Amino acid sequence: MRLAAPTPEHFTSRLRSPAVAARVGVWLGIAFSICFLTGLVSHWAQDPGQPIPFPTSPSWGYRVTQGLHVITGTAAVPLLLVKLWTVLPKFFERPPLRDPRRLLLTSLERASIGVLVAAGVFLLATGLMNSSQWYPWAFSFRATHYAVAWIAIGALVVHVAVKLPVIRDALTSHVDDTRHDRPTAVEPGALSRRGLLRTTWLAGGVAALATAGSAVPVLRDVSVLGVRSGDGPAGIPINKSAVSAGVTGTATSAAYRLEVAYGDRSVSLSHDDLLALPQHTETLPIACVEGWSASGSWTGVRVADLLDLVEAPRGDVRVESLQESGPFRVTTLQDQFARDERTLLALALDGETLSLDHGFPCRVIAPNRPGVLQTKWVTRLEVQA
Amino acid sequence: MRTRAALVAVGVLVGAYGAWLLLSRQDPGQLASAALWLAVGPLLHDVLLSAVVVVVAALGARLLPRSWWAPATVALVVIGTVTVAAVPVLGRFGARPDNPTLLDRNYLLGWLVLTGLVLAAAALGALVGSRRRRHPGD
Repeated sequence: MRLAAPTPEHFTSRLRSPAVAARVGVWLGIAFSICFLTGLVSHWAQDPGQPIPFPTSPSWGYRVTQGLHVITGTAAVPLLLVKLWTVLPKFFERPPLRDPRRLLLTSLERASIGVLVAAGVFLLATGLMNSSQWYPWAFSFRATHYAVAWIAIGALVVHVAVKLPVIRDALTSHVDDTRHDRPTAVEPGALSRRGLLRTTWLAGGVAALATAGSAVPVLRDVSVLGVRSGDGPAGIPINKSAVSAGVTGTATSAAYRLEVAYGDRSVSLSHDDLLALPQHTETLPIACVEGWSASGSWTGVRVADLLDLVEAPRGDVRVESLQESGPFRVTTLQDQFARDERTLLALALDGETLSLDHGFPCRVIAPNRPGVLQTKWVTRLEVQA
Repeated sequence: MRTRAALVAVGVLVGAYGAWLLLSRQDPGQLASAALWLAVGPLLHDVLLSAVVVVVAALGARLLPRSWWAPATVALVVIGTVTVAAVPVLGRFGARPDNPTLLDRNYLLGWLVLTGLVLAAAALGALVGSRRRRHPGD
């Protein structure tokens, strides 16, 4: 037996056809576009500066965009795998070495495909791993996932532009049309082309349903592969525990005080002082960047009322947590969130005192915000006007 | 042609912005790690996964009767691709002792149930298909 790299002629299935690739490609392109746009929304929401203020309504907005981001990315895995299968013969095409002009163009096109595949696989793989909090790498997930998304979308636009005539032909003719097929792609497969396409949609749907329960409560029992069952203290999962934040001592200490400051004015409040202030209850979701979300009934003091104690003017609020380190120890609560009536410094969840893992003694809960910015174990609010 | 050239130009610009974002915000050690992970995906797919698929397809074609090919392919595509997407939860690599709310399902059991359901549906499809072939008048 002689081992040699296959050539495109070795692939004989008539399923490996541009007629199939174009149809899967359309949905894959839509999936990547949804992920890109919802990803931009998430990076906008997490930008502390926000040249254009992120809206505070609807309160479930971020929950929907981020749930959609992760569900769409998961459903894209079967689409991408089938798409790559249909075009695999192209990988083994020999370069046209004798024609320098064609060689250059082919090399450029193949380089753009290489970038697209590398970026596409990277985004889906790191995204899924991030949603299960598995980080076996040294790079920053957030910065790299964001940068590679721009690379993927750029390479996708180039790919569509290069293939536009084939795509147009494929989509406007019957799925069994053979105009753009390789000469050897004639063998009937186990499935018809229509059958393979339906199988692909089915696989994408199953992947979505099997994981979506982390964001869509009605699917909890169906989503056997979801990263979270949705359960936790008071029915809400947590991301960072009090132990890992190193706050078990400081958060439960009798010396705990919340400081509210503006310029040289400040007030210092104990947990009892906070409980003595007017309490409000709001139903708001915790929606994590990792795609899971859960709605809770939160009770506590309006942040706007606290800021009025130091007669602070409007402006962004610097929120400081008791946690010892981490990128979200200090966060910015933008003016529009700080002054929204629904934004609370919550002391209770579902009628019970906040558990330590949910941020006891008090945490920020604001409408339409990424979970990482709903700062827990808050010890200081400072208006920066 | 002009539209396509314009699209290529837009794509190159957008991609270049991404490359600049990638290269300008992290130190060399982080970039090396990102480069490794960017390269690993296509390698794993093109060399390993696609070869596994070719071998499994050849084995299936040899071992299974012709009437089973279609349902077996449907089942394999669904189970195979969903399993790839489920690797992080099946391995529970991100689980942490201090957070019982993360990765809190029995994923192996869930996967077995899902796989069983897909296989059962495929077997049903095969039976119905072969009966139809035997009694084409039904």
